[in-house]
Amino acid sequence: MKQRGVIATDNERLLMALANQMKLPLMQIARLAELANLQSSATAELATITFTADTALRLIDSYLLGAQLMREQQTLDLEPVSLSAVMYEAVQQLQPVANQYQCELELSLGGKYGPVMAHRAGLTAALTSLGQVFIEAQSQSETSGKHVLTLAAHRSQKGIVAGVFANVDGLGATMYRRAGALYGRARQPLTGLSANSGAGVFVADSLFSAMASQLKLSHHHKLVGLAATFIPSNQMSLV
Amino acid sequence: MSTILYIEPDAILAKTYIAALERAGYTVKHYKHAAAAMLAADAHKPDLVIMELQLAGHNGVDFLYEFRSYSEWQRVPIIIVSVVPPYEAGFSPDVWQQLGVTRYFYKQHTSLAALVDGSRKAMAATIPA
Repeated sequence: MKQRGVIATDNERLLMALANQMKLPLMQIARLAELANLQSSATAELATITFTADTALRLIDSYLLGAQLMREQQTLDLEPVSLSAVMYEAVQQLQPVANQYQCELELSLGGKYGPVMAHRAGLTAALTSLGQVFIEAQSQSETSGKHVLTLAAHRSQKGIVAGVFANVDGLGATMYRRAGALYGRARQPLTGLSANSGAGVFVADSLFSAMASQLKLSHHHKLVGLAATFIPSNQMSLV
Repeated sequence: MSTILYIEPDAILAKTYIAALERAGYTVKHYKHAAAAMLAADAHKPDLVIMELQLAGHNGVDFLYEFRSYSEWQRVPIIIVSVVPPYEAGFSPDVWQQLGVTRYFYKQHTSLAALVDGSRKAMAATIPA
């Protein structure tokens, strides 16, 4: 048995966050199934069960992809990837989650970008994982207005910034710094943003790290969010 | 008809609990945030509070202390349904009793039927003055 006080490795911390996060969709499925049994018609519950299971499976896939990319990092070759195509794909994957939590999705690609050096599947998974956390977080916020999640890209001095942005309470530099410190120790490291473990943020961080980038707090116009910077590629996009 | 003030951050889980409680004949007023629930308590005059401890922003334990600080809410039973296991919540049974927490359900292991049954029993029991 592990001694108390021993610092967890990155993978252990990620697994803990994932395990905590996975409780939510499994509880949702269990309770929806129980409710379906009580009712004569269970069409709505069955549809939600399907969506919930899909969302949970996608998060597990993203975690596994991150773990695989980290393992192969020595030989991982980044390829030219079209950001707009990846972001469009992420929006499509997030649409069922957004519908369930009554959130609108927007794509904001201010300007024309060539391909960036990334891993296509990894980038899609990272943006989807981040998006799931933000959609859930917005649904838990006190603000009663329309919830909108924006997947956006913009230029910076260091490259092309891509990430998810929203008008959310509680997301700021202090909270994000504190989340890094609480990650692996607390069951709710993104205090103020999400009532859950926010595993999607840490899964996305591991995916971006495997692509030699880093997840950071970022702003897009008046929105705040989490994003990573990618180096533009001079080669032709594979997409 | 008894009114339940229900604090749960997740919209999907909340729908299932609300449906089960309403089927059992209760009126359920749902809030995602403790602060909003506190403001609404006056208007709804709840007969029972069901709440999650792990909330975004406002801590559920802070809500408990604040709720109990008002004289009119000192005898309203409270049920906790939380993803935090009771042994990790950091309080002894004595403290829960002082706060008027009638039952502590570990959410992962709590069926809708168990919560409905627990709610009925909590409202039937009297909290000592």
